[in-house]
Amino acid sequence: MIRLAIQGVGVLGGFGCGLGDLEKRLMEGVPAFGSLIVPVEGQELNMAAYTADSAPLERFVNKRATRRIDHFSRMALLGACLALEDAGELESSMERVGVVIASGYGPTRTTFSFLDSVFDGGDACASPTNFSNSVHNAAAAHVAIQLKAGGPSLTVSQFEMSVCSALMTTQLWLAEGRVDKVLFGAVDELCSVLGYCWGRFFPGGESMIDPFSLDRQTAIPGEGAAFFLLTRDEQARYGHVSQIRQESIQAPLSSGETYLLNLDGHAGCSTGYRQVLPGSASVAVYTPYYGSLPVGQAFDLAVAAMALRDGRLPGANGFAGPADPGWQLAQGALDRNRLICLKCDGRGRVGHIRVEKS
Amino acid sequence: MATKEKLKQMLVEELNLEDMTPEDIDDDAPLFGEGLGLDSLDAVELVVLVQKNFGVEIKDMEEGRPALQSVNSLVSFIDSKRTA
Repeated sequence: MIRLAIQGVGVLGGFGCGLGDLEKRLMEGVPAFGSLIVPVEGQELNMAAYTADSAPLERFVNKRATRRIDHFSRMALLGACLALEDAGELESSMERVGVVIASGYGPTRTTFSFLDSVFDGGDACASPTNFSNSVHNAAAAHVAIQLKAGGPSLTVSQFEMSVCSALMTTQLWLAEGRVDKVLFGAVDELCSVLGYCWGRFFPGGESMIDPFSLDRQTAIPGEGAAFFLLTRDEQARYGHVSQIRQESIQAPLSSGETYLLNLDGHAGCSTGYRQVLPGSASVAVYTPYYGSLPVGQAFDLAVAAMALRDGRLPGANGFAGPADPGWQLAQGALDRNRLICLKCDGRGRVGHIRVEKS
Repeated sequence: MATKEKLKQMLVEELNLEDMTPEDIDDDAPLFGEGLGLDSLDAVELVVLVQKNFGVEIKDMEEGRPALQSVNSLVSFIDSKRTA
């Protein structure tokens, strides 16, 4: 299969907006949390969460044009604009550009709001705009329409494995020559219903993600978007995605690589990392900077792209390093010009994305 | 609140016309195209909003076309249905 050249990166989340904000946060430490208001038994509780602000979208698209676009799609559109801007391609022709989006949850706010409106007022009073925005592919459609992307668009939802699956589709489209470039992105959003469920499933209210405390549930929910402009080119501004694999956890992986683990504080998923990674593996974790969300692996891919560009892993501080599995914490200059972003889903599946310097 | 004020506020808030205030809306300007700049999806949304907020149903195109010309025509339609 062909390699995917990473030409532009656009991210937003609890750390701020843009690769520069993420980089700054990685240097300065774990960001302060936002909050999610969750109704519980007639009261409103504030739950710690990494929330994203999509207001900077006004820099790219006028307000009138985005008035029917909800928060989920706004995050996606902003991520896409940032990736194009980063690649210097905001003004380029979008005729042969495809859009592929990964999402674990989809547009949760609009979906639940639409369902509420049906319950409250019947189907005759349900908002058609809310309905059209409640489908998972709404974000890809808004991105394609606003940016005039003339290629196909698709949304892939496979919960924790969404990023790997969507990236495989991207690879296929570029290999087939269906498009010249793909705006590949991942987006997930939080809402009060999700916060309520989170509180029921994971009571305790942790104060921070402690990624290497593998047996403790320390996840804090996050939202945001991570987008990439990908091409078939031999030259890449950041590096190439050279391998994408999704499989059942079987034999342990090689210890001679550096892994960016998506350990996001979910104790149920930690077992997989223990099974798949040998004790001496070199690892880094960045989840405390953007939170726990199904498409978190895309943020690791953004960090990996940045690391390949700079030849060194960004510092990650403010949380304890690896303990019992004996993994070695990777930091500073890269030992080799490649990294593997690894995601285990807690149900015996593992997704690998290998990125390397051109 | 009078029907007209309530309707204008609803247009701004529910259709997310963030660049306008209710006072900016001309009572006689066309709602679609040149005037307020609404489109066909807004028309469907408006039918739902009028039913939800005023309890008035716009049954078909025959009723909808003249009613949805301007703020004044829509106010007249709503008031006439409510008093009927």
